[in-house]
Amino acid sequence: MAVATDTTRVPAAGSRFGSRAREGLTGYLFVLAPMAIFGIFFLYPFGYAIYISFFDWGILGKNHGVGFHNYSLLWHDSTFHTAIKNTLEYTLVVVPLEMALGLSVALIVNAGIRGRTFFRAAFYFPSLASSVAITTIAIYMLSADGLLNSIIGGHRSWFTDEKTALWSIVGLNAWTTSGTIMLFYLAALQAIPTDVYEAAALDAASAWRTFRKITFPLLRPAHFFVLVVFGIGALKIFDQAFLVSGGRGGPNYATYTAVLYIYLKAFGSYQFGLAAAAGVVLFVVIFLLTLAQRATVGRYEVGG
Amino acid sequence: MAVAAAQAIPGKPRSWIAKRAVIYVLLLAVACLFFVPFLWTITTSFKSLPDSVHVTLWPHPWTTSAWHTVWSQYDFKLYLRNSLFLAVVVTAANMFLAGLGGYAFARLRFPGRELLFLLVLGTLMIPDQLRLIPVFVLLTNWHLIGNFSGYILINLVTATNLFFMRQYFLTIPKDYEEAARLDGAGYFKTFWRVMLPLAGPAIAALTILQFQGTWNDFFWPLILFGQGSTGHYTVQLGLAEFVLTYQTNWPALMAGSVIAILPILAIFIAFQRYFIAGVAAAGVKG
Repeated sequence: MAVATDTTRVPAAGSRFGSRAREGLTGYLFVLAPMAIFGIFFLYPFGYAIYISFFDWGILGKNHGVGFHNYSLLWHDSTFHTAIKNTLEYTLVVVPLEMALGLSVALIVNAGIRGRTFFRAAFYFPSLASSVAITTIAIYMLSADGLLNSIIGGHRSWFTDEKTALWSIVGLNAWTTSGTIMLFYLAALQAIPTDVYEAAALDAASAWRTFRKITFPLLRPAHFFVLVVFGIGALKIFDQAFLVSGGRGGPNYATYTAVLYIYLKAFGSYQFGLAAAAGVVLFVVIFLLTLAQRATVGRYEVGG
Repeated sequence: MAVAAAQAIPGKPRSWIAKRAVIYVLLLAVACLFFVPFLWTITTSFKSLPDSVHVTLWPHPWTTSAWHTVWSQYDFKLYLRNSLFLAVVVTAANMFLAGLGGYAFARLRFPGRELLFLLVLGTLMIPDQLRLIPVFVLLTNWHLIGNFSGYILINLVTATNLFFMRQYFLTIPKDYEEAARLDGAGYFKTFWRVMLPLAGPAIAALTILQFQGTWNDFFWPLILFGQGSTGHYTVQLGLAEFVLTYQTNWPALMAGSVIAILPILAIFIAFQRYFIAGVAAAGVKG
């Protein structure tokens, strides 16, 4: 890095080509380490995962090629179907819920109130806690003798009841994730220039109209960012499902998610080829949904 | 408290005051909803086992026996040290590498930049669960399963952080760095002395989120240390094992949860000030 400092001084006028070359070399140097990490631990494994998915592959390594056999196993495995269905249902409900919550709270905290620091910290607080700690607390609160039942007068054990287990995880994660989403929206709200609002105030636009016509559309990059990042995050739901079911995805597969399937196939029965194939399928689902999101929310500018 | 303050403001119409009052009551109600479970967690950790099935906020009697269980039967001191080490190293690496790469993608022109940036966006789309098996195989071949190097290596920099930094650098006016460059500063010096300080709010957000992310990470520690590397257990992995072992020992489970949350809460409170200062600086700049 010290070398870059010394050799990249702005040269005297006239050596335009030299400065261009220097800028280019510096650019490559600066992105070298991140690109190497992305290449070795993301992009190469992407191809390697597809390769492994065509093998009978155990804990000790490659056994023999099986063609599309692992995919055909997935196609006929009702457990895998349930895992995909649970994961999609979870994502389709939790993401809009946590975005609406996060944006609402961000708008209120941003609305020139007193004690905004306190409220922002209060709403962000559940996002701080680890999934393991928060799930542990939730297991206690939603147990048969827990806080929730004493308030509503029921006796349901929410996480071990087949009908409510997945939706309890939805509630839990909407609660804990909205604070993080609020932070992203707050940052985006503060980037909106105030003269835009001054113009709206001159036109005597109502608060709702100002929000709908100005704030919401101006937040488009934030919407896209939050939707993609947290949508992908939701599809990867694992920790909570693992913990509430003791790593089994029960009761009766109610909390069996796609990633839990991958984990159990890999480290439960050491079927690495099958687990890799499930990972490829999950990737395709994530990829298609990302494309769909992009089409509905609007195109994102790639170039600077 | 806040409601009274709002009413004390002179010269505002009554409807404005009423609207404010409703907002504050709502805010306080939601804040309670967010806080009460944590208060409950702390007080439960001081309850006795038979008392913990009673839905009362206050312990009766107060006891520290749950805390003794956590400290004496589980190695939470070691877990805390392991988690802290990993979180500090991974966060520092991400701050530096995502900043450097984000700056290059935002500002420097080099052939193939758009193509490389597409690869970064592509990396964003590769879920950890797709790379799980190949990365596990790679790390096994390199004998990096069950030690910290493997964990740090695969988490040195994320595409999310690099993308985030690039987006922030794009919003900074070019005048600042042009001034620095005219003063004869090289690219690295411009990045280190001018651009990184200007990106204070983004750095603060990245630090908080990455530290939190690594501290709270459960998936990779489970994969890399879960097969018997108890000496490398992080707080989250230790707590998870605790949950599976002590199904309904609520006071001990709550004590473990408090241990998992408290350090990161302290760090958040310390960073909160920096964060607010950063946001204020961003406002002045615009």
